[in-house]
Amino acid sequence: MIYTLRHLTTYRYRRPARFARCAIRLAPSEGEGQTVLSRALAISPEPATRASRRDFFGAEVTSVTVATPHSEFRVEAVSRVAVERGPLPEPESGPAWESVRDRAVAGRGLTPNDPVHFVFPSQRVPLVSAVTDYARESFWPGRSAYGGAFALMARIRSDFRFDSKATTVATPLAEAFALRAGVCQDFTHIMIAGLRGLGLPAAYVSGYLRTIPPPGRPRLRGADASHAWVAVWCGERWIGLDPTNGIGVRDDHIVVARGRDYGDVSPLDGIVTASGAQRLKVEVDVIPEDEGVPAVAAWA
Amino acid sequence: MSAVARERLARWIAAYRPDPGLPDELVGADGFHRGAWPGFLDALARLDESDIMARFVSAERHIRDAGISYRIYGDQREHAWPLGSLPLVVEAAEWRSLARGIEQRAELMEAILADCYGPGRLAAEGLLPAAVVAGSPEFLRPLHGVAPPGGRYLKLYAADIGRGPDGRWQVLADRTQAPSGLGFALENRMVLARTFPDLLETLHVERLPGFFQALREGLSLGAERSEPRICLLTSGPFSSTYVEQAALARYLGLMLVQGEDLVMQGGRLHVRTIAGLKRADALWRRIDADYLDPLELNPVSRLGVPGVLEALRNGSLVMANMPGSGLVESGALSPYLPGLARAVLGQDLILESPRAWWCGDPAGLAHVRANLDALTLRPAATPQRGAGRDAILGPAALAAEREDVVRALDDRPFDYVGQEPSPLSTTPSWERGPDGLRLVPRPFALRVFAARTASGWQVMPGGFCRIAERPGLDPTEMRLGIRSADVWVLSDQPVTTPTLLAQRIARPRRIAGQLPSRAADELFWFGRYTERTEAVIRLVLAHLRNTGAALATDVAGEPSQATSARIRGLLEEWGAVHDADLPTAALAQEALVGRERHGSARAHVTAARRNAAALRPRLSGEAWRVLADLTDLLSLDETRAFAESQLLGRAERALSHVSALAGLTHENMNRGPGWHFVELGRRLERGINTCTFAVAFAGDGAGAEDLGTMLALCDAQIAYGARYLQGAALAPVRDMVLLDPHNPRSVAFQVEAITRHLEALPALSADGIPEAHRRLAAGICGGLASAEAEALDSDAMARLEVELERLAEAVAARYFAGGPDALRPEKLAGLA
Repeated sequence: MIYTLRHLTTYRYRRPARFARCAIRLAPSEGEGQTVLSRALAISPEPATRASRRDFFGAEVTSVTVATPHSEFRVEAVSRVAVERGPLPEPESGPAWESVRDRAVAGRGLTPNDPVHFVFPSQRVPLVSAVTDYARESFWPGRSAYGGAFALMARIRSDFRFDSKATTVATPLAEAFALRAGVCQDFTHIMIAGLRGLGLPAAYVSGYLRTIPPPGRPRLRGADASHAWVAVWCGERWIGLDPTNGIGVRDDHIVVARGRDYGDVSPLDGIVTASGAQRLKVEVDVIPEDEGVPAVAAWA
Repeated sequence: MSAVARERLARWIAAYRPDPGLPDELVGADGFHRGAWPGFLDALARLDESDIMARFVSAERHIRDAGISYRIYGDQREHAWPLGSLPLVVEAAEWRSLARGIEQRAELMEAILADCYGPGRLAAEGLLPAAVVAGSPEFLRPLHGVAPPGGRYLKLYAADIGRGPDGRWQVLADRTQAPSGLGFALENRMVLARTFPDLLETLHVERLPGFFQALREGLSLGAERSEPRICLLTSGPFSSTYVEQAALARYLGLMLVQGEDLVMQGGRLHVRTIAGLKRADALWRRIDADYLDPLELNPVSRLGVPGVLEALRNGSLVMANMPGSGLVESGALSPYLPGLARAVLGQDLILESPRAWWCGDPAGLAHVRANLDALTLRPAATPQRGAGRDAILGPAALAAEREDVVRALDDRPFDYVGQEPSPLSTTPSWERGPDGLRLVPRPFALRVFAARTASGWQVMPGGFCRIAERPGLDPTEMRLGIRSADVWVLSDQPVTTPTLLAQRIARPRRIAGQLPSRAADELFWFGRYTERTEAVIRLVLAHLRNTGAALATDVAGEPSQATSARIRGLLEEWGAVHDADLPTAALAQEALVGRERHGSARAHVTAARRNAAALRPRLSGEAWRVLADLTDLLSLDETRAFAESQLLGRAERALSHVSALAGLTHENMNRGPGWHFVELGRRLERGINTCTFAVAFAGDGAGAEDLGTMLALCDAQIAYGARYLQGAALAPVRDMVLLDPHNPRSVAFQVEAITRHLEALPALSADGIPEAHRRLAAGICGGLASAEAEALDSDAMARLEVELERLAEAVAARYFAGGPDALRPEKLAGLA
């Protein structure tokens, strides 16, 4: 499947900002079933400095500074990506979760892909015993890691309510868990916390999900959103599981970055010297080139 | 040694009985006195006990006057630094072997860091479990692959040490993040060197300046410029160790800065100073690395500098220690150190840690499970702390706790380390017994330091020692009941004559322009708020005394209500009272001590104190105490109603405190840029207030009573009486309070002083054209010089006030970080 992606972020300031410094992670990742055919990043006003590098986990980060006074800051990323991931594993297949856990910690590698980085709590994913106990119900002794993780994902999908008003970007994980509500970021963090509580490596993936316009209606410009899901190390490879929609990750998901939690992959982070209020608008378009093939109706 | 001295010494140690299970500094395992102690105690016993006590009393007084203090975490108060114990004494030979062990350990930590942030060979070869590295919150991935500018991760290494069960020194915790205690150790030595100069000389106590000089050189090693500017980054006055940070900055000649003082520009780190942006070449950080860069590390941090990691990537900033160095503080590291020392250094580890087992290793887990009753269980990922303070489970744990931990070991064994308990060894401490002083064994914590120089590690011949006043008290963290002690390394030969620290380290430097803008801002407002406090108090005094009426000798009969109403109106306008029509005493009380009023004297003095907190290194201990007393004076219980006479007494005493404070800053503050800013604030505020007073009490329709009040507010009654025989009249009063350059309270006097202070400050442009704020000041000055009292009507006085306000704004815009050109950076909000 080939997608055209457009992600436009606009900040408006009541009083002109004099200076801004940002780190941008909006380039789709290469590999693991994805090929980036083209990509472009447009920033206005024109940055004073602009440099790109790879972060520890391999995502491309573009650091910019803007030194001209501005009332509006726009970052627009456009790309074409081919996604061909292949089928998900057979249900309940793969090594038992206990051996996955032990081998992850016994590994000798410290490269970005080594699962050992994803076993420990991180800034936004503390270990919460209630969440661990919730996850434990899906991991009986000897069950395959993939089977347990898939079941946990499905439980979160059915036990939690999607509610964009229930949480904010700053809501702690334990609170969202107690509410049994939130958005993709919350569900992803909760599922990661449950898996790590049991010692299993779990990563936060940021990206996009193909959505289907309501029947008979055209695709609305900018109506999509960025999305997040979980990558679980199942012993041999990372497998994507989307707790918001209760599905395994195949060709409807486009990966941008993988990290320990949202903090590692946030699409746009920065500081600005401005004294007034700021307003943020995000528009995302995920346009499949063969528009029309039905896919799951989804929340992001 | 005289018989008296021998008898004295015998009494001191007669009842000295260390715990048989714990090694002691005075009494070795063989029952004999250890190395340096007999010589030290002999020398001490030659002094009369009352002499010793008197010396300690004088030491304590010095500590108070110098304002050496510390905070207990989470506590607002400051506590005077508790130095009152005997020094810990160690023989040079023993210290040398200890120092070798410290150097080796520091070098080993350096090598581990270089590998973990680079090739990762140690993990690949199985010498160090990858999970121990990846599991540490101090493994900062943004720093992976970034070579430390200057080539070294560690510039300062510290170790908390104690004697193990076999009497040998062992390391209880490694400190590589941002070790504290060095400044306190220095202060301890400065105080004892004043208290026992004779002992230091005769006992050949090793001196410290050489170490501090080495440390300073090491801090800038690898900097790009040959005359590097070194900054000490503090988390601010509310840090528990701010005072020692300020002391270190002072002694080493470093610029003490907070995150707000620093800014990244053109890929390089700069300090905002009153002379513009100045390059910072080296940074000694006293904040944890996680808080260093809100862009790449902890996003909620307000203590750091956005983008500062970029300066490390491009090599333009040297940092002590390199962010990420905290990794080797990890509790799970110690089981692997002996093997790492052999593999990396080809040496056996000289200083060991208490034996420990990481539970992520199946064999380690089995051992810990089998010996849970005899071990202390600690977190693996977070830094080790001495004396089992971070113990999750000690041998004395309850059954229920034990059960929880056993379950935790099932879920995530790799989060835990089992360690042999390491109770703290003891050292002699004073105690007052029934018949005089005596020595008692008390647990102590000792931190030793090593500085990285061009030629290798240099270990400080001394350390930071803390001693518990009672057995069973944990001395590893400063709090009540813990005393600190100097550490004396006794050389076997005379040491070189001590050189004054300042002479050896800091080259004389007299240039202005090294003052961070934020500090200038705080100093300016300190001046303004103290002056504002005075203005409110003077208004309250005028209100209570009805002074205007008393001076209005040409008015017979009852004092008019108009003047009183004007005073009340002004107090309300200033936000000192919520209602101008309160009864006399209630009005005075609210204006003086009203906690809820933003314009009360109390509010202003509180604000002045907040500014002063940031200025501790520049304010004398005495000034600090006067400020504290002033706060107390203005902190009356608001639920009680006080009588007019009581309030009058309070206000008078408060006024004399304000004057004392002004005198102290004037007499004791160095005439550097800092002093100019205090004076600028004070003068501007006084000028503005005098104009306000003049509009109210010397306006076009002012009566004699108003004019009397005006003179009282400007403290000019006596001068006026001496000059004019008749009562208060409009033109002479205006001349005296506005134009007379000889009256230290006139507006003209303030403006002249302001002009002089501005001339002493650095200019941004070198083209000789005066900057805007200087032109403004010169304009006001000239206007006043040519003005005539008769022509100064109410409108002219109001215009003068506006001009002074503009001048204050211009000064702020030119010099302070809060000016419009340097707004505080805000995070981009929302889920982008």
